[in-house]
Amino acid sequence: MTQSLRSYGLMLKWQALSKKPILALTLVVQVMIATGFIFGLGFFYHEITPETARFITTGAPTIILMTVGLVLVPQMVAMARTEGTFDYIWSLPVPRLVYIAADATIWVLIALPGLVLALVIGAIHYNFGLEISPLVVPAVLLISAAGMFLGYSIAHGAPKPEMANLATQIIVFAIMLFSPVMYPIEQLPDWMAAIHRVLPVKYMADLTRVTLTDMDVNLGLAFGVVGAWCLAGFIITYALVRRRR
Amino acid sequence: MRTTESGIQDVVLEIDELCKAYTKGILVNDNISLSLRQGEIFGLLGPNGAGKTTLVNQIIGLVKPDSGRITLDGVDVITKPGYARQACSLQAQTQVPIAGLTTRQAIELVGRVRGGDTRSVRERALQLINQLEMEEWANKAAESFSGGMRRLVAFCMAVVVPGRIVILDEPTNDVDPLRRRLLWQQVRALIGMGSTVLLVTHNVLEAERAVDRLAIINNGRVVGVGTPGSLKENGDENIRFELVLEPRVDAPALPEFIQSTFVTGRRLVNRLAERDIAPAVQWARNLKERSIVEEFSIGPTTLEDVYVKVVGRADAQEMPENEVSHDTIAS
Repeated sequence: MTQSLRSYGLMLKWQALSKKPILALTLVVQVMIATGFIFGLGFFYHEITPETARFITTGAPTIILMTVGLVLVPQMVAMARTEGTFDYIWSLPVPRLVYIAADATIWVLIALPGLVLALVIGAIHYNFGLEISPLVVPAVLLISAAGMFLGYSIAHGAPKPEMANLATQIIVFAIMLFSPVMYPIEQLPDWMAAIHRVLPVKYMADLTRVTLTDMDVNLGLAFGVVGAWCLAGFIITYALVRRRR
Repeated sequence: MRTTESGIQDVVLEIDELCKAYTKGILVNDNISLSLRQGEIFGLLGPNGAGKTTLVNQIIGLVKPDSGRITLDGVDVITKPGYARQACSLQAQTQVPIAGLTTRQAIELVGRVRGGDTRSVRERALQLINQLEMEEWANKAAESFSGGMRRLVAFCMAVVVPGRIVILDEPTNDVDPLRRRLLWQQVRALIGMGSTVLLVTHNVLEAERAVDRLAIINNGRVVGVGTPGSLKENGDENIRFELVLEPRVDAPALPEFIQSTFVTGRRLVNRLAERDIAPAVQWARNLKERSIVEEFSIGPTTLEDVYVKVVGRADAQEMPENEVSHDTIAS
């Protein structure tokens, strides 16, 4: 355990330093995505009701965390796979999950500033008060972990790294346009709503909504579904990074 | 730790009848058996695609063998790959993840990951940087380095806290001749630190000077094992007879007692028996007088000749001229 913690600390430093060249740019992009969603989605509607404003603002954290977990993470993994650097990383005496944990931690830290900014801007721009519950911390961590484990699963599981890049583009497109994150699930056709009652995205958005506002959502169900997807992503990631060619 | 049949030296790594095919029916490693003894530099020689890196990847646990055994200090590392990663430090052929790191940071981080304490790792990193004359690059971003300098950083990362076995896969690729000499000194120093070195290369001349024993591998099979000397002594025709032709001259027909080994450009490398030296010299002098041959030389067979003989002519003809420079490594 001590050895794993020591390795985690060192890999955290390694990953933090390795992200340094792209850190500033990534943070800027994250902030742009966050603010872009808050302001940009406002243009979709003729009139922004308090209900709409709440959906837009509290949906932004899910979109931000999903773009990190399902786009940035798989793209970086795909790049490393193309360069062959995993052959080196996996040859080090570091448990593979420790490496993944360190990588994921850095990505959460990169995503946080944009996430907080989106909430602040949203609250100010649409003039409504957030009711922040302490449960927002585990909620954000669970959404991040679920997104990233699913991202790692796609990135390590794709037969070719380029396929992972393509898959993530399609997924993020689907999340942004066809998921009940920025609007209520009732606005989707029945068959699409039925799919979203199984997929984790709606429940991720529910988690942020219920921990940031007084909206009435089944919190236990949301934690349960996102937790189940997170566990599935973890098991698949673990199996994939442990496999030998 | 196990001992050889002779009981003279300890065997650190033993590979038994190892087979691996990525595609069904095409064996990349075909029944490979080798053993590495404590404190030796063991060379694994072979052309590109011979199966050398696949063998290394099986030792380190990245690739799973189809059959056979690999034991390290008596531990089966096919079922316990974690042990291999603790015991082996690797300079892989692939890129090392050094984006965002300076030379010192990269070396020190791996040293810490491999269990070294902060102070001794820092000292060792500085020592390596000084001895490989990399001071100028010590605090610069390693990502921007040329290929040769990146290889040197990767080498330092592999040896900062050396494992029981240090595996070096083509460590001198793109490295300048002067630093190659310094690098080989560091490789030799690893033995004094208690490590055993597995050197993977297709550079025969470097290997001949650096290794204690070697295996030649071709098409996934081991085609020769021994010391450079013992491999060269194999056979009657142990004299190397080299001719350099005048430009734009066709190669002459060889007398029966001279066996062609390989041809690179104007250079014809041949083998003959000691008793045939006099007639060979006479024949070559005659060609020189007729301006067919520019120069010729006679000497003992080199490892390169043996390598070419066992690997085959086609590969030899692809060897670039710089591969046969005699001034690339420290003796």
